[in-house]
Amino acid sequence: MLSHFLFLQWKSFVRGAGFATGLAQKIILGFGWVYFAFVFTGLAFIGFYYAQDELGEDPLVFLSGNLIYGVVFWVILRYFLQKMPAVHVQPLLALPVSKKSIVRYGLSKTVLSFFNLSNLFFFVPFGIILFREEYNPLGVLGWWIAVGSLILATNFLNIMLNSVDRILIVVAALLAGLFALQYFEIINLAVWTAPLFMAPYKQPLWGLIPFGLLVLLYRWSFAHFRNKLFLDSDAMRPKKETHRVADLNWLDRFGRIAIFLRNDIRLIVRNKRARVSVWMGFAFLLYGLFFMNDIYSSPVWMVFVGIFVSGGFLFGFGQYVPSWDSSYYPLMMTQNIPYKEYLTSKWWLVVVGTLAGMILSSFYVFFGWETYLAILAGGVYNIGINAYLVLLSGAYTRTPIDLTSTKNAFGDKKSFNLKSLLLSIPKILLPMFVFYVGVLVHSKGVGIAFVALVGILGFAFRNLVFGWIEKIYQQEKYQTLLAYKQKNA
Amino acid sequence: MIEISTLSKTYGAQTVLNIEQLHIPAGQTFGLVGNNGAGKTTLFSLMLDLISPTSGTVTNNEVIVQNSEDWKTHTAAFLDESFLIGYLTPEEYFTFIGGLRGIKKEDVSIALEAYTDFFHGEVLGQKKYIRDLSKGNQKKVGIVGTLLSNTPLVILDEPFANLDPTTQIRLKNLLKEQASASGKTFLISSHDLQHITDVCDRIVVLHQGKIVRDEVTSPDTLKELEGFFSEQL
Repeated sequence: MLSHFLFLQWKSFVRGAGFATGLAQKIILGFGWVYFAFVFTGLAFIGFYYAQDELGEDPLVFLSGNLIYGVVFWVILRYFLQKMPAVHVQPLLALPVSKKSIVRYGLSKTVLSFFNLSNLFFFVPFGIILFREEYNPLGVLGWWIAVGSLILATNFLNIMLNSVDRILIVVAALLAGLFALQYFEIINLAVWTAPLFMAPYKQPLWGLIPFGLLVLLYRWSFAHFRNKLFLDSDAMRPKKETHRVADLNWLDRFGRIAIFLRNDIRLIVRNKRARVSVWMGFAFLLYGLFFMNDIYSSPVWMVFVGIFVSGGFLFGFGQYVPSWDSSYYPLMMTQNIPYKEYLTSKWWLVVVGTLAGMILSSFYVFFGWETYLAILAGGVYNIGINAYLVLLSGAYTRTPIDLTSTKNAFGDKKSFNLKSLLLSIPKILLPMFVFYVGVLVHSKGVGIAFVALVGILGFAFRNLVFGWIEKIYQQEKYQTLLAYKQKNA
Repeated sequence: MIEISTLSKTYGAQTVLNIEQLHIPAGQTFGLVGNNGAGKTTLFSLMLDLISPTSGTVTNNEVIVQNSEDWKTHTAAFLDESFLIGYLTPEEYFTFIGGLRGIKKEDVSIALEAYTDFFHGEVLGQKKYIRDLSKGNQKKVGIVGTLLSNTPLVILDEPFANLDPTTQIRLKNLLKEQASASGKTFLISSHDLQHITDVCDRIVVLHQGKIVRDEVTSPDTLKELEGFFSEQL
């Protein structure tokens, strides 16, 4: 049975529209893997001897003590970045394939995720060091089982977080509570949990408890999806949303572009995937807060933060232009719409989103004018340069987004994932470089000015760049149309 | 209206369409018939510049479709559900289409009244998104979207498929009415020989990418076509 599924998976990959680009991304991802393998393995070695020699602590005890933070961090990271597995279920339902094996396949696919396997690069070397340093081998095995089970347990927990909103709320509240307890120093999580994580080492049988947790979570998600494999279950059928009335007449003052903007706003309001991408934009506004402490120590990060804070919408939504229109792209291509007009409307949408980000982020003034100026410069750069880059990469992305179908019980409902994050790296590195040049020339202020200047220059050449992008879209038109036909690739 | 010369489309070694010459005068109701894979949708897609030809060109009202976008101003088409925007209500969709054609929202509402019968009370005022409508009702939305556009050229791929019998008959009347009253040019494909001979002035039969019959509709046409297609088998 498994071979059948793998056969389908392979065919959908090889025959998928984005095969060539998919391959390129896979290669980039491959490099990412190698990188993380090195980093994690290195971390295992360095971490072990640093704890032992510098801190004078038992590395295993030290790690176990801090493992709770790792687990929590991993759960959060997974929720935001891990892609949910997509199994095209519907055609299988009427075939002699047991529903159990469909679900089992979908779930086991998630196990191969980066967020599980990458842990091997850390915990395997770490364990080997433990063996070599003559820790009790049986204890290390017990500890391994416990940690491995926990990692996989968070995998299945994440699946549930993604599919049931109620569980998400409960877990989020729980985490917030733990955070509060820790923050106000009511309890010290590390001290409390350290014995729990050390127990499997002292008595390997304790390793069975996390393993039991893993089995429990697996069965839970199994049962959850098993019950959803009916055509009329919520998971398979697009929810008939109540009609959100919005005439949006105030848009009319923008002239002809209003026709498109109206549609795009409705697209965002009425489709979950698009909505999530906008919420991500809001989340990015707060992203800079994480950096407020270190920001002065490494000025280059100021621009990094500046680009991200104002560009959340640009990266979350803009990245998938024109894929948002993929399900009706032939309409757009035959209606009375010149390409230029279509692109301009998309560009405006991204620009308005970025401007909103720049205004909403004004609270960063509290962290100093320089910080806010860096964000503003980042915003200008986003408008002047990245807005084009996003449109440009859109011409080649060609990943159809199927808005109408949530027919997939295992559907990927998130538009923001690790892959799109990797694709945005070039859009961030360049302004960091420009800023750095400014710093070398004179000072941070000049760096910020340089970044803004490049943005303004880009903006000034708007017509030129638009003509150029338009030509590329024209060239790619047939390819794009063909690619969008393959909805489930 | 439409001028085609030495148009062909080849995928690998297989030629799916090869038309030496085809002239469709303005005001004609042109019917395209052929079995699956005969090249009907390919021909329409080439006319709409949705796929690129291997050789030749399509000229739509003196605009070479492959070179300029200007044909879009006087052409409206509905090939399949990818011409619908699922997250809009039918009314919003019509306003969108109308807006692109420079028709005001109020005028769209007035124009829609003419289609009340055709919609049969199942499309307008439902507060449903197009994606939640049945296949048949989606088709009605698509067809009316093209008719509303008030373009001299309308292209419909299998408009009768998926419609209930009542609506099929209403559509026939609608198309005949519009063709005679407004002088629009219609290009229609269908598998339903009865309907297409009823509606069209001229029938062209495609077989394996080539035009094998091209004639003005007469009372005998239906019989001849039936004969032709049963021999094919």
